[in-house]
Amino acid sequence: MTDWNTLSDAEFRKEVRGFFEAEYPEELRNLPHRPKFAEIEHWHVKLHAKGWVAPAWPAEFGGMGLNAAKLLIFYEEQQRWGVNRGRDMGIQMVGPLIIKFGTQDQKDYWLPRILSCEDIWCQGYSEPGAGSDLANLRTRAEADGKDFVINGQKIWTTMAHDASHIFMLVRTDPDTPKKQQGISFLLAPMDQAGVDVRTITTLSGETEFCEVFFDNARTPKENLVGELNKGWTMAKALLSFERIFIGSPSLAQNALVQLESFARGRGAFDDPVFRDRFAQAALDVEDHAALYSRFADQLKRGETLGADVSMLKIWVTECFQRITELMIEAAGPDGGTIGPLQVGNVNVDVLASFYKARPTTIYGGSNEIQRNILSKAVLGLPG
Amino acid sequence: MLRESARTLFERAGSAGRSRMLRDAEGGWDADMVRELAEAGVFGVTVPEENGGLGMGLAAGGVIAEEVGRVIAPEPVVMTVGLSLGLLRRLCPHHALMEKIINGETVLAAAWQERGPNGGPAEASCRYADGKLTGGKAWIVGASGAQGFLVVAEGDAGPVLVLAEATADALSIDKRTQADGSSMGELSFSSTPAEQLAEGPAVRDALNEAISDATALTAAELVGVSDSAFEITLEYIKTREQFDKPIGSFQIIQHRAVDLNVMREVAQAGVREVLAQMDSETDPKRRAKLASRAKARAATAAKKITRDAIQLHGAVGYTDEFDIGLYLNRALVLSAWLGDDAYHRRIWFDAREEEGAVQ
Repeated sequence: MTDWNTLSDAEFRKEVRGFFEAEYPEELRNLPHRPKFAEIEHWHVKLHAKGWVAPAWPAEFGGMGLNAAKLLIFYEEQQRWGVNRGRDMGIQMVGPLIIKFGTQDQKDYWLPRILSCEDIWCQGYSEPGAGSDLANLRTRAEADGKDFVINGQKIWTTMAHDASHIFMLVRTDPDTPKKQQGISFLLAPMDQAGVDVRTITTLSGETEFCEVFFDNARTPKENLVGELNKGWTMAKALLSFERIFIGSPSLAQNALVQLESFARGRGAFDDPVFRDRFAQAALDVEDHAALYSRFADQLKRGETLGADVSMLKIWVTECFQRITELMIEAAGPDGGTIGPLQVGNVNVDVLASFYKARPTTIYGGSNEIQRNILSKAVLGLPG
Repeated sequence: MLRESARTLFERAGSAGRSRMLRDAEGGWDADMVRELAEAGVFGVTVPEENGGLGMGLAAGGVIAEEVGRVIAPEPVVMTVGLSLGLLRRLCPHHALMEKIINGETVLAAAWQERGPNGGPAEASCRYADGKLTGGKAWIVGASGAQGFLVVAEGDAGPVLVLAEATADALSIDKRTQADGSSMGELSFSSTPAEQLAEGPAVRDALNEAISDATALTAAELVGVSDSAFEITLEYIKTREQFDKPIGSFQIIQHRAVDLNVMREVAQAGVREVLAQMDSETDPKRRAKLASRAKARAATAAKKITRDAIQLHGAVGYTDEFDIGLYLNRALVLSAWLGDDAYHRRIWFDAREEEGAVQ
């Protein structure tokens, strides 16, 4: 087994880049939507054979065992080549959870199935009354013989209609002094009578989000991960790496490249006002990348990131939105038209970019929640 | 190490309070402080060791400039490191003036811009012939305290760099007070005697490089201004109470503070990255482009942070008594000097276009 961490950063980057460029199916590059598993299965098979499905997992569980620095490089290369993340909820969330808090039986049973995508996972966190205030969740799980019986509703469940299992935060004790207590982490099969999935059509016309209704759905008690009523702390522990990943410059950088080629084709650069706004956006992206490197260097030195890493997400998502707004501006009278716009020999789907940018300030903890976090944890402001 | 010693030096001297006293006195700098800074090696930070400096590069200069900005010190650090020594170390590194400047014995201001009939910048027309200067120069920072002026003028065979003593005959200095109490000078020469230090196209090249250095260092100084202005404001909103609570407990105030902090961190990261890159970049055009990136970012951030700082202080922010206003005023002056953010975005964009066209 290769210990990737012994390679230099440059060697490792070359290795990853080489593999993606040689093996990643051209037709899947920069997919504008989230694919169903069937659409990307042929790529997953290759990735699985290579042993690269789970870059962050320790090697003993079938992962690549990458340290934070190497992991960052892996994701940077993935984004650079437009490699789809695949159906990675199992890899990103469930696997690490089970590795950290699961029993030996849970590890033996679930981890190989996650790697092979025999099970496809979706994440059941948000509820209609529990968005930014996630701890307000009400979906109940009550012990009944060998099972938990689940009643309630999850929402914004990404790709639930293409998932075989759901990992969820449920309320197992409704009578606790703080609502963060009494929450547990539960795994449940989707294919049963008590689970009903309905897709939600988004502003962009996609149906990747779902509502999931639980009406006396059942899951065996051994599908509780970690201690009963300790789910909240566990969920928070999972978020640490995601916080730099979600603030990476790539989305804004890619959008800027698109904006430039589109705006050039459209002659928007003849306008000095547009030139200045483009320069502002381009400099916003460059200087964000400088700040991102500072945090990435911290990871590379083996340090733990503090709450201040949230500022990356705030800056880059808002910058991403401004860039897509400039694209619409450059499109002029085509700014309201769905589908690719031809400019010279490039096709740019202006509205697709615009829509893609909108939820980035909402998901992963809305930017307002991030500001609350920074205000208290970094600036030490009261209340 | 460098940061700590610069910070200690300024703190011992009295931080922003000292700067206020100097402003209230004459608006100049403190000659003793200039000597202390010189002893610490500050002025020669980017001068190669063989020419009597520390040979540490622009990134180290940026560290010092940030500390200058933090206490809004009036001493001519960026002007000396970036411009006067920036010119001399490139054109005449063995001249005796170098040592005197590095040692803090003398301070020279650089004069290269000229004012046109509409009040804005104009093509240079100031002449140097037979050891004498004729014409004028504008926007000279440090004009009131400097012992002399390094003037870039047109000679018989192209550009020249000459030294005119502040006390020279036929030299008149028109001083204008700036928002921070410092003065900016305009020089008029009518056959003013001056000593030639260098001539030829190298003068133009050295000037452009020195301007890039000074621009980037000013950006670093602005980062320091932003840092302190933010810290002062954060402390204020934690302690000022209204409606029986610290105003920093209100979400609207908190979010504004967070946004200013994010802006400050982005500026600091961007400017520090630029300074490091300028140290390893040799192409003058790319160095100029980098400097523009730094100044554009630093000026945007400092202007926004110091102005919002006033708002977050409320009415007392509008008084001269509170230090926060000193930071607003320094940000105004440093933003305007060597080009503001809008100017530098334009320059940066044009340079980017030029690079794109070459590729």
